[in-house]
Amino acid sequence: MDFVGKRIWFFIFSLIVISIGVVFLIISPGLKPGIDFTGGSTLRLSFENDVTQSQIRTKLTELGHDGAIVQKMTSGQEGDYFIRVGELQLPEKKSLLSSLQDSLSPDGINELSFDLVSPVVASETVLNAFYAVLAAVIGIFLYIWWAFRNMPSPLKYGFAAVIALAHDSFIVIGMFSMLGYLFDIEVNAMFLIALLTVVGYSVNDTIVVFDRVRENITLYPARSLRDNANSAIGESLGRSLNTSLTLLFTLLALMIFGGDTIKEFLWVLLIGVIVGTYSSLAIAAPALFSWENRDLSKLFNK
Amino acid sequence: MRRNIRSIVVVFLLATFSFLVLGFQQINLSSFQRGNSDTPFGLELGLDLQGGTHLVYQADIRDENGQSVPPNSDQMQSLKMTIERRVNSSGLGEPIIQLLGENRLLVQLPGVKDPDRAKSIIGETAQLMFLHRKVNFQEEIPDFNASDIVKFSLAALKSPEEGETLSKKPEQVEGAFDPYALNTIGKNQVLYIPEDDQQAAEFVQENKSLIPVLAIEINEPSDQVFEAIVTQLRVSMLPLQGTNKFYPDGLQIELTGDLTENMILTYNPLVPSGGGLIPITTNVNFYQLEDGSNTYFINIRESYDTYQNAYEKLNSMDSIVFTKRVGKRDEPIGLTGDDLDRAYAGQKAGVGTPIINIEFNQEGTKKFAELTTEIAGTTDELAIILDGNQLISPVVRQPILGGSAYIDGYDFTVQRVRDISLLLESGRLPVPIKLITERAIDATLGIDSLSKSASAGLLGILLVLLFMIMYYRIPGFIAALALILYSVMLLSIFKLLPVTLTLSGVAAGILSIGMAVDANILIFERMKEELKLGRTLLTSINIGFARAWPAIRDGNVSTLITCLILYWFADTLGATIVKGFAVTLAIGVCVSLFSALTVSRTLLRIISHTSLGSKLRFYTPAGKSGLLN
Repeated sequence: MDFVGKRIWFFIFSLIVISIGVVFLIISPGLKPGIDFTGGSTLRLSFENDVTQSQIRTKLTELGHDGAIVQKMTSGQEGDYFIRVGELQLPEKKSLLSSLQDSLSPDGINELSFDLVSPVVASETVLNAFYAVLAAVIGIFLYIWWAFRNMPSPLKYGFAAVIALAHDSFIVIGMFSMLGYLFDIEVNAMFLIALLTVVGYSVNDTIVVFDRVRENITLYPARSLRDNANSAIGESLGRSLNTSLTLLFTLLALMIFGGDTIKEFLWVLLIGVIVGTYSSLAIAAPALFSWENRDLSKLFNK
Repeated sequence: MRRNIRSIVVVFLLATFSFLVLGFQQINLSSFQRGNSDTPFGLELGLDLQGGTHLVYQADIRDENGQSVPPNSDQMQSLKMTIERRVNSSGLGEPIIQLLGENRLLVQLPGVKDPDRAKSIIGETAQLMFLHRKVNFQEEIPDFNASDIVKFSLAALKSPEEGETLSKKPEQVEGAFDPYALNTIGKNQVLYIPEDDQQAAEFVQENKSLIPVLAIEINEPSDQVFEAIVTQLRVSMLPLQGTNKFYPDGLQIELTGDLTENMILTYNPLVPSGGGLIPITTNVNFYQLEDGSNTYFINIRESYDTYQNAYEKLNSMDSIVFTKRVGKRDEPIGLTGDDLDRAYAGQKAGVGTPIINIEFNQEGTKKFAELTTEIAGTTDELAIILDGNQLISPVVRQPILGGSAYIDGYDFTVQRVRDISLLLESGRLPVPIKLITERAIDATLGIDSLSKSASAGLLGILLVLLFMIMYYRIPGFIAALALILYSVMLLSIFKLLPVTLTLSGVAAGILSIGMAVDANILIFERMKEELKLGRTLLTSINIGFARAWPAIRDGNVSTLITCLILYWFADTLGATIVKGFAVTLAIGVCVSLFSALTVSRTLLRIISHTSLGSKLRFYTPAGKSGLLN
């Protein structure tokens, strides 16, 4: 099958998906940052008396916490709420809780969990994450360049891999922007881990395909790049699908039967595995060919 | 063949070893101890998996200008030990404390469900401070002097008798009030403001039941300054928080030139004050007709004659001076907990009453000597403040030059003395700290998730194994064995190092299992191709490995590189989540490389020598044909 020949369709499809994601990224709130990235405090409270979301929100605004986020919790019991406000040191938290209790729930409020991230740490986290990922990408690029040094144009392998990586990351990020817009899902440190995991998987997958390409070129130098690439992709198809299938099994099992706290995390991994597999086959190798084939300059010279 | 036997033995030993490590909940070999008694397989679990409290503190040292100063490593070590001690002795269990970067401390308290208590015990602002407390001294009042007074005059307060109706002359105003005063004017009390002095004199003399009050009318806007002064007087009347001592402020009105003639107005009835004009023997109340009015009525409860005498003199306004008598002011003198060597409870020689002994180090002795010399014999006190709360504030009887002293008090009990000594001893943090991150996971949320996820994970792996066996058949079965062994080895390494498993570690584990499976699949697909070309089983296996190896190697190495970079970043920046991920993944990758190379290959070779080796059919993936006979 002529995968490489059909590459334009793959590229267009990916572009569409990414664009959708970018749209959601741009319209506010974009990626909804959790307190890991903005700083602040989150509380999970269980109210003994009946309260409504707007009651809580009004009361919080009264107490000076404008822009507090109040959500009903989907897990747990009726009367469980998730609240996010600014930084709360211990005395402030105590007075917040007692004000809420006095006015809304005299029978008591149960504090299920409390997280505090100082804005100092939060802004650091964003920066660190960015640097770490950047460094990792550079490292991967360099290694591929070295590993494929005996090939005619090793740089292109590196670039193609990075393109595939970027492709996967954008899709995941875009997806989360959409989820953030539709379901108010926040992005926190776990998202970061999941993203890193996806990057790791995608790189592994892409390299396996490239390896096959290299082998074909080495064994059949007379064959055209198109043919070599196509057969590489075809040969890797079975294996890639199987590998991703096994991962999906594990993830699905965890999602269906596992605990609540990691659901969003698993979603990212799930999407990431699918996208990572797709990108290795349909984006990375074709991109490589595209470059060799000087597609872009041909496009512009028309 | 020999190669095979060696490999078999190695694999077998490893397998046994790993199973043993995991099988025993806890491992205790002389000084080598591993394993947690409550967790599955005895693995160390991070907080996000078992629930607990996660706190990150940052050192917050400021110089005189309020600029941040970084701590040195000795200070951070000392901080770590102090907090460790505090938490250990508080009964909150054993904390896990690590230094993060240069100025941060990570405190993890597994299983602690009450982070607030933990935070209180650890404390936030540091410092035990010894302050020079100046008591009852005089101070100028800026912004207020005699020229701000319009005039002094007299008025009177009356409570009507039963059945009496009060007449309307002179001008009668009802409901004057001082909401903070001890004796508020009752609703039916009335304040009389005479039109002039003569009227005042007449009125009061006629009516013995009237209470004279001194009225001060103040120039606007200076009345606001006066109001502030009055408010301060009221506030100073309250006892010092947590103690039963109080240090009232006073307003001193003095006629210069004649020092015996002054009056000091305070809210406290117990403080004797200036003589001459009006001796204070009962509490003073300041009244206003309404909030914000510029006339104050001062009820001093003296006789009318005394009032008249006072107010006449006061109205000769040139020579009046207003000063403030300050109840207390605390001044730091640079003597802190750092200068304290020891503090311990004891008994007074000869008498046996409970006392607190304190001893200062060399620096401290000097400062302490200076301080005590200054204070000795005066009413000034040595205020000892811990974390902003006062512990005690004794007076100093004589200068103490030797650096050791004892503190006694008439209300000291053995218990109290011991508590205070303990606080003095352990209550000082070497550096001030600020809480910058807190994560508390309710035990139920954590544990619930964990058990569910563990079983789900097992289920997932089972499915994978099933799939492998069904699709790849015998090689799949080999892979399944290899995978099981891989997981067991991985977990036992985690247990031995030890590696604390967190959520990110689980994620890394999932990924590395995926990659391990992937390595096997790569090999099998290659084998399949070789078999299709008609090679023998053994050859196919060997070629399969050889061909698949570069891909496996490159994939895993690039992942390893990613891990190294992530780890390095996370370490310098204190991001434990990323660090955990990187470490776990790196271990996973290494073990999977080893597993693919050794375990899978060995097992495959073994099988190929057995009778199953001849049944090639069992080696091709289900549904595939094309096998040459």
